Amino acid sequence: MREFIEEKIREIRETVGSKKAIIALSGGVDSSTAAILAHKAIGDKLYAVFVNTGLLRKGEPEFVVKTFKEDFGLNLIYVDAQKRFFDALRGIVDPEQKRKVIGKVFIDLFEEVAKDIGAEFLIQGTIAPDWIESKGGIKSHHNVGGLPERLNLKIIEPLRDLYKDEVRELAKELGLPEKIYRRMPFPGPGLAARVVGEVTPEKVRIVREANAIVEEEIEKAQLKPWQAFAVLLGVKTVGVQGDIRAYKETIALRVVESLDGMTANAMNVPFEVLQRIAFRIVSEIPEVGRVLYDVTNKPPATIEFE
Amino acid sequence: MILVLENYGQYTHRIWRTLREIGAKAEIIANTTTIEEIKAKKPSGIIFSGGPTLERAGNCWKILERYEEFGIPILGICLGHQLIAKHFGGVVDRGNKAEYSLVEVEIIEENEIFKGLPKRLRVWASHMDEVKKLPEGFELLARSEFCEVEAMRHKSLPIYGIQFHPEVAHTEKGKEIYRNFVSICKS
Repeated sequence: MREFIEEKIREIRETVGSKKAIIALSGGVDSSTAAILAHKAIGDKLYAVFVNTGLLRKGEPEFVVKTFKEDFGLNLIYVDAQKRFFDALRGIVDPEQKRKVIGKVFIDLFEEVAKDIGAEFLIQGTIAPDWIESKGGIKSHHNVGGLPERLNLKIIEPLRDLYKDEVRELAKELGLPEKIYRRMPFPGPGLAARVVGEVTPEKVRIVREANAIVEEEIEKAQLKPWQAFAVLLGVKTVGVQGDIRAYKETIALRVVESLDGMTANAMNVPFEVLQRIAFRIVSEIPEVGRVLYDVTNKPPATIEFE
Repeated sequence: MILVLENYGQYTHRIWRTLREIGAKAEIIANTTTIEEIKAKKPSGIIFSGGPTLERAGNCWKILERYEEFGIPILGICLGHQLIAKHFGGVVDRGNKAEYSLVEVEIIEENEIFKGLPKRLRVWASHMDEVKKLPEGFELLARSEFCEVEAMRHKSLPIYGIQFHPEVAHTEKGKEIYRNFVSICKS
């Protein structure tokens, strides 16, 4: 691991030289690790761009700014683009189309920032399963496809041959906080991938709250799944609440165990924990009336719903 | 060095990773690589990865056609297993039931590829097509409740086919299977 770090630092330093490099920092373990690795290699010549898409987890934007700007001292550029993303997503239902739209808005934004900085290199936290799945045509991935050609940016992908568990070890070794290297994987399109059908600020708010409850309760129960999250199915079902008929949203819970995300099993979460999560979601989020648990493995399902 | 021929499967890179973890040198190459280029790499063994369709198995077919020029051990995984069966005259078709994720496999014939493994193995599979009829000159090594030919080998040549995925983390003792293949390549 030490050798790997030194080798990559040397590679990045030699490649970038006296030029500038940018990275799109999401706060996830991959881009965070790539950013810290690059920061160690080239210091202030690295510009980390953090885009608040409006599709992030609860408390995430604040956490990323604090960690990377204040604690690690990175050159961090914060872009608030929530409105732009929601405007672009209006009326879009197809999952692949959603990913494309989000990717495009992201690239446009990133291009504007990158031009101002005048960087020649783009550092990406791409890991092995990203390019494997894209290549197989299962899902398109959210990195910055198309942009490098337009801006004439040369790509550096220091984590390309690693799997998530290896990146976590690396992150720990690099001194990143536990909250990052233990953090569950989160899809590039963010909470948009957790809302089946059209994405609106309202739906994202619901799924964000539900997701925070799931993460809290899983942690409280001391379970260590690969991922645990909530999905807003966009299906309304009937309930009875205080003797009154209810007709409300349905949330699906997904908790899976995996080593690397390539294969995964639905976790045998204790029933009491599932019930506590269901109870809290329905009582704390008035728009939700029912909670379901997904018991499908990967394959045949994927971990995420979209 | 073991060459892994990429048939556009989800787990190709996992094969590479597993080999790396057990200390074997390995390289993933496109299945469009020419026979001459493949020979020039002087592989000690070849693995055909899984993938979506036999039509895109590229030069894997040619390696089998010109096998005597190589003479080295070959292991086919999933689609790779099916293409070996088809090449040698077996029948590959849609299975009665698809197998996804956990499958219990019964090892009928231990052989060098399953050496030291228990008789029953909990493995992960992901396929719709399967080998319906074993090709002539092959023997059956393993089967499951849903799929008759989970593994096979050529009776005289070091050519092996496995329908499930020993390279994924969820397969019990998967690494041992690759370790056995690496030993076969060394001997």
